[in-house]
Amino acid sequence: MTSNAAQASRLQPSYDLKEIENFLYYEADLLDNNDLENWMQLFTEDGTYWMPVARNQQDPHGHISILFENRAVMAVRANNFGHRLAASMEYDIRSSHLIANIRVVDFDENTGDCTIKSNFQAVLYYREQTLFAGTCTHQLKRVGDSYRIVQKRVDLINCDAPHKSIMTYI
Amino acid sequence: MTRTTTCNTRLIARQHQQPSYSNEELASLVESKRVHRDVYLDPEIFELEMERIWGKAWVFVGHESQVKKPGDFISTTIGKEPVLMVRDKQGTVNVIYNRCGHKGAKVMAKPCGNTAMFRCPYHGWTFQLDGKLNATPHKCGYDDTGLDPTDPQYSMQPVARVESHRGFVFASLSRSGDDLKTFMGAALETIDNMADRSPKGEVEVVGACLPYFHDCNWKMFFENLNDAQHPMVCHASVGFATRKTVKQLPQGAPVPKEVEIISPFGSSYELFDDMGVTVMDNGHSFMGGKHSIHSAYSQIPGYMDAMIAAHGKEKSEKVLGSNRHNTAIYPSFTIKDAVQIIRVVRPVAVDKTLIQTWHFRLKGAPEEMLHRTMTYSRLINSPASMVGPDDWDCYARMQESLHSNSAEWVDMRRYIGQEESHNGVTHSKGTSDLSMRNQYKAWENYMTQAQTSAQETNQ
Repeated sequence: MTSNAAQASRLQPSYDLKEIENFLYYEADLLDNNDLENWMQLFTEDGTYWMPVARNQQDPHGHISILFENRAVMAVRANNFGHRLAASMEYDIRSSHLIANIRVVDFDENTGDCTIKSNFQAVLYYREQTLFAGTCTHQLKRVGDSYRIVQKRVDLINCDAPHKSIMTYI
Repeated sequence: MTRTTTCNTRLIARQHQQPSYSNEELASLVESKRVHRDVYLDPEIFELEMERIWGKAWVFVGHESQVKKPGDFISTTIGKEPVLMVRDKQGTVNVIYNRCGHKGAKVMAKPCGNTAMFRCPYHGWTFQLDGKLNATPHKCGYDDTGLDPTDPQYSMQPVARVESHRGFVFASLSRSGDDLKTFMGAALETIDNMADRSPKGEVEVVGACLPYFHDCNWKMFFENLNDAQHPMVCHASVGFATRKTVKQLPQGAPVPKEVEIISPFGSSYELFDDMGVTVMDNGHSFMGGKHSIHSAYSQIPGYMDAMIAAHGKEKSEKVLGSNRHNTAIYPSFTIKDAVQIIRVVRPVAVDKTLIQTWHFRLKGAPEEMLHRTMTYSRLINSPASMVGPDDWDCYARMQESLHSNSAEWVDMRRYIGQEESHNGVTHSKGTSDLSMRNQYKAWENYMTQAQTSAQETNQ
């Protein structure tokens, strides 16, 4: 890419950062409202949610993770959420996500697909209040005038710490 | 008697010789059909357990595959004692106290790594990979002071006994007691079975562990391992949610592979009764045998072929025909041979327990076997799973409400009197409380032994 072309692409980005931000805010809002049914619909049919246990973990299949879930398991979780027979679900599960430092780290001009990194702090209240923080990596697929999530990867800064029960997606 | 010895004696008297619980009082906490709540609640009993159970039993430390090269080490605990498992330059796996022989600082804070020797970050004393003192900086300061560098008190001391079986390293802080094989009894077969499920007869730890912090006494986790009266109640919701999810699938859509792992947790009383529970000396137990909740997993292509090529048809069928659920090796270790997972108990305080889940590769088996291990662990054992948190919550509820003064005893009489004993093991229906009664038999034996490891060390 020539310097002129580079300048042009900076001046005329073919993605709208505001639109991407709004998408991430919407996704976080669904989590904060425990709306797992609509939240999972944001994912592609083969989409996954991944929370590694190790720093810089490369492999979700051959190494353990805190969470690595496909749509099928997301559906089980949505059906289990708040279930009256689950001891662990007798308490409210509340969260408040803050998202910042949103940056586009990869963008495909042909398809509009992109990879977004953001930093987050999420306060969860489940039996007690807990602060989670880290980096999210969203692989987004352009579908019509919106996006769908191919993968949401959540790297907690304390991914390898001994956690108590984590009752929902962060 | 030197001044030092006097101080030691006084300290030991306080810690070991005059506990506020007499042996008779400790024995009175365990009855044939029930235990007193204090075994879960009293910090003093927890401290006694650390000395008399965790200071005596064979406790799981790590697997040799975690320290493949000389200088590789892992840092962990035996009860409340900080230890390192390290492979030295001769290839021997040592277990040494993670305590500097100088001022007592923890020498290595990292969970694992590789090092040429251990160096205390405070004053720079260095130790060889077997724990012996290597050097003290500016050595002239110790001239004519009487410091003997070969005296074990200046080293990172080795623990009393270390033994390994199929790469699984256990240590005992006590110089006396049964060897590892005798200690394990019939539970040893489960470790053999996991290793034999590898076409090469070997397993190795893969990656980091999955830690899960519990707000409960360590024994609550342990008692739950072969408590088959809880799954169909405690894990009912995830069973219903899974069945509902399958019903919601579009017609003709394949059933997700996760379903075969989650569904058995909602099985009936009859299925768990049929699985049966088997107990043996020293508090160990397992469920299943001919069949278990792991029996109905689908075949992974290429695995059976690799097994038959390596071991022959007859042995392969025998190995894979053994289907135990949890084999619980009291007090520190539980193994699922059929899914290649172990969980390790690290007690922290009377109401705090760390559980570490470790995952194993069957060497020579298709990588999909390992993927199933990871899927199982995420779905069942992870702090973010839909199974573990329901157990967690019930433990926390017990830890909280056992403080209620409305009653003092915890019942464990289910199916009592219906056991059958043969060949040194005792068997009962799966939903029996037999494994718990057996654990408390071991608990009482350990706790009422007058001779403690610390006394032996100081004899």
